[in-house]
Amino acid sequence: MSVAWIGSQPVPLMDAIQKAAKLLASSHCPVFSLDADVHGTRSTIALAERLGGAFDHVYGETLAREVALFTDNGGMFTTPGEARRRSSLIVLVGEIPAPHHDMLLAWSNTQPDLGDGGQRAWFHIGGAAPASRATRQFNRQLKTVPITGGDLPLSAVLAGLRARLQGRQVTSPLANVDRLGAALNKSQFPVFVFSSTSGEAAGLAMLQGLIADLNRKGRASSVFLPADDDAWGTALTSLWMTGFPPRTGFANSLPSYDPVRWDTQRMVRDKEADLHVWVSARGEMPPKGRKIKLISLSRAEAPTANATVTIAVGKAGRDHDGVAYSSRIGTFQALAATERSSLPSVSSIVQQLARALPGRQDLPC
Amino acid sequence: MLIRLAGGDVIDPVNGETGQRDIWIRDGLLIDRPEGETPDETHDVSGCIVMAGAIDIHSHIGGGNVNTARLLLPEHHAAHLPRPANTPLSNAGWSTFQTGCLYAQMGFTTVVEPAMAPSAALHTHLELADIPIIDKATLAILGNDDFTLSLLRDAKSSSMLDDYVAWIIGSSRALGVKVINAGAAASFKENVRSFSFDDMVPEYGVSSRNIVKSLQASVTRLGIPHPLHVHANNLGIAGSADTAAATIAATEGVPMHLAHLQFYGYGIEGKRKFSSEAARLAELVNGNPDVTIDIGQVMFGQTVTISSDVMRQFTAIGNANPKKTVIIDGDGNSSGGIVPYRYRQDYYGSLQWAVGLELFLLITDPWRVFFTTDHPNGAPFTAYPELFELLMSSDARDAKSTELNPSALELTTLASVRREYTFEEIAIMTRAAPARLLGLKDRGHLGPGAIADVAVYRRSKDIAKMFREAALVFKNGELVVKNGKVTHYRWGKALRLNPPPDKAMIKRMKDYHDERYGLSLDWFTFPDTAIARDDPFAEVPCNS
Ligand SMILES: [Zn+2]
Repeated sequence: MSVAWIGSQPVPLMDAIQKAAKLLASSHCPVFSLDADVHGTRSTIALAERLGGAFDHVYGETLAREVALFTDNGGMFTTPGEARRRSSLIVLVGEIPAPHHDMLLAWSNTQPDLGDGGQRAWFHIGGAAPASRATRQFNRQLKTVPITGGDLPLSAVLAGLRARLQGRQVTSPLANVDRLGAALNKSQFPVFVFSSTSGEAAGLAMLQGLIADLNRKGRASSVFLPADDDAWGTALTSLWMTGFPPRTGFANSLPSYDPVRWDTQRMVRDKEADLHVWVSARGEMPPKGRKIKLISLSRAEAPTANATVTIAVGKAGRDHDGVAYSSRIGTFQALAATERSSLPSVSSIVQQLARALPGRQDLPC
Repeated sequence: MLIRLAGGDVIDPVNGETGQRDIWIRDGLLIDRPEGETPDETHDVSGCIVMAGAIDIHSHIGGGNVNTARLLLPEHHAAHLPRPANTPLSNAGWSTFQTGCLYAQMGFTTVVEPAMAPSAALHTHLELADIPIIDKATLAILGNDDFTLSLLRDAKSSSMLDDYVAWIIGSSRALGVKVINAGAAASFKENVRSFSFDDMVPEYGVSSRNIVKSLQASVTRLGIPHPLHVHANNLGIAGSADTAAATIAATEGVPMHLAHLQFYGYGIEGKRKFSSEAARLAELVNGNPDVTIDIGQVMFGQTVTISSDVMRQFTAIGNANPKKTVIIDGDGNSSGGIVPYRYRQDYYGSLQWAVGLELFLLITDPWRVFFTTDHPNGAPFTAYPELFELLMSSDARDAKSTELNPSALELTTLASVRREYTFEEIAIMTRAAPARLLGLKDRGHLGPGAIADVAVYRRSKDIAKMFREAALVFKNGELVVKNGKVTHYRWGKALRLNPPPDKAMIKRMKDYHDERYGLSLDWFTFPDTAIARDDPFAEVPCNS
């Protein structure tokens, strides 16, 4: 089986590395769109720094929204583990991404062993936008009590709810708001579960305002579930390595964080970059129809369309061991390979690329 | 490789009087002068001060809460001026890479991250592994987790607590144990808003004192070299000196380390009911040989407070500057709060600054007072050079005092204290004493057999400049800094204890995580290979 291609021709791995290194060395502004585990991320960021490039996650758009929840606002948070053990009232907010449904369904089969220890109640705050089928089914399974306001969007429902809980009159009536009020009074540690797909930034800031209100007299918190665990892990890794979340670029080895300027897919679209390095340990394909040169490190059995160089890589936790963020535990987790294969890790390929560059220096990670 | 540092003024209180002598390094270790051998490399350091590499026992340099602070405050990096350097990622703001470079440039070669949540140990160690040059170590936080509190409530045998502490230390690769406002984070989840030494954790009926005393005893029985590291209750509150006094009195003949005592040096005198109790606390420390303390000095300017004392951080939200915060009710010991803060030269800031200096100057034994700003809580560690100057020059203190709030300073003894730290005292406080406190026999001094961590400073009237830019720094015998600039990159290790785990405790932990979290234990543990560096850890023995 081939693991490297130049254009559509299978080539020995070293030839592909040499070719890719040449492209990297001659690029004025390489940009990296990455999707890898912690160690793949570390190496890719180190390479971007060496080359004066910029990096973003493959799911940069969603990730940038999630990062903005913190950079703009902050808030009060708890971990899934603590919510499971302590919270007798779970309030889901908007759309919860499908990868998290199993965890939440598992909570529904348990009773809190800490705090008030009461039978767990479930609510769902939703806007007028129609919920996906998966979400509707998920809510049915959890028997959530819906908090809605007719044709009000989610942020307006949250604003109305906050006002009601502050004891203010609200013009638009919300369904089941009194039931939620009673449940909040009864529960010692209510937890609101949300994701960046739950709604617009203003709505999520409103949610944190509501939680802050509840904490004046009692306790409440929230669980933030990232849309994609690997993307969130990349954000955390980027933070310690560069001081900044992704959408960071390097000029004269100084990192700068700018979510508009260093949006790598925009840079590729607008031809601000002259080389695109696509790293996808999940084997996803880069957007089509882009006009600049492409190096693809992808979990693929065939060359990536329009890539000058394609190198097949493995996925951490499947082909090889690795470390990834897990929202189940709210931190990083060591992963053992489940189907160990000979596919190289992103990190090992990126390190080989660095050694093939002029100067032949090892990366710091 | 044989290296000779020739003609420096060697300040090495552990091994004798200060004086001019050569330092010899072979293969990463210090050796006696070898007879009849020619060095491969000689550095003329005549006229320079030569000390062991400095050791910081309490600096929040990595882990979940530190990283959340980076996430909350990308604008904060402007506080760290970029320095030109041609080493990977060393210009990266407030990053792991820059942390290692900035510490090394000041002659620091070992730094302890004092607040690792055991459940997030992998994250902490991943960050520490990306801090270049220096060695690192961690203290594992205990005392707010259901498992410990349940053991104490149920009055389980002390050997079971020991087995648990040993398992935590071993699985999280820690060098010691820390309690942070013991019991308060658990109580805060039950809506308790203030928590003192003799208050009870709801549901468990266990007092903060009981938690501290039980863990202190366990640490001693296990032979963990570093005494229990205690972040006491009521941090930052007017009147907290009473809490500190009660905690100091609770040592009862067993060693205990009290962290960032400055933040407890406050009384309730004066118009603003916020005054200095530093002189009283200094006297208590002087009179109790079992207690060691570090200061947590406040220096002025923008910083961000990062603490696992979630109850205290929640109370401080109103003072956030800029106005955004993160408060985390984590599981067990992983709670915390991130509150950005600007120390102003107003009444409060001036008083805090003076309290820290009073403690430094009034505590007489440099073996029992440790040099910290509780980075970044009192100030970023990059303020150390200015702090050395304040300790070594009463003129520098007087000069700074003229800029500060006079009514605050009047409530302190600072102006009357003329003590100036000597180089020998600095060497004890930042080298010899930390090594002894942490159980690191291989460093903190320049005797034969020690690892060759050496800092050379060029004498200068400008004390801050002298300590900011070491002339030469060697880490394990490798020259890493020259003229205040990093010249060579290497990877240090995380120093850890490795007590053997008790089989019954492993089984108990498996059952506990299965039952309470619905997850197998391997979600929470990791192999050394997960760090992806060669030999990321070095073992430190427990006392026998
Ligand atoms: Zn601290």
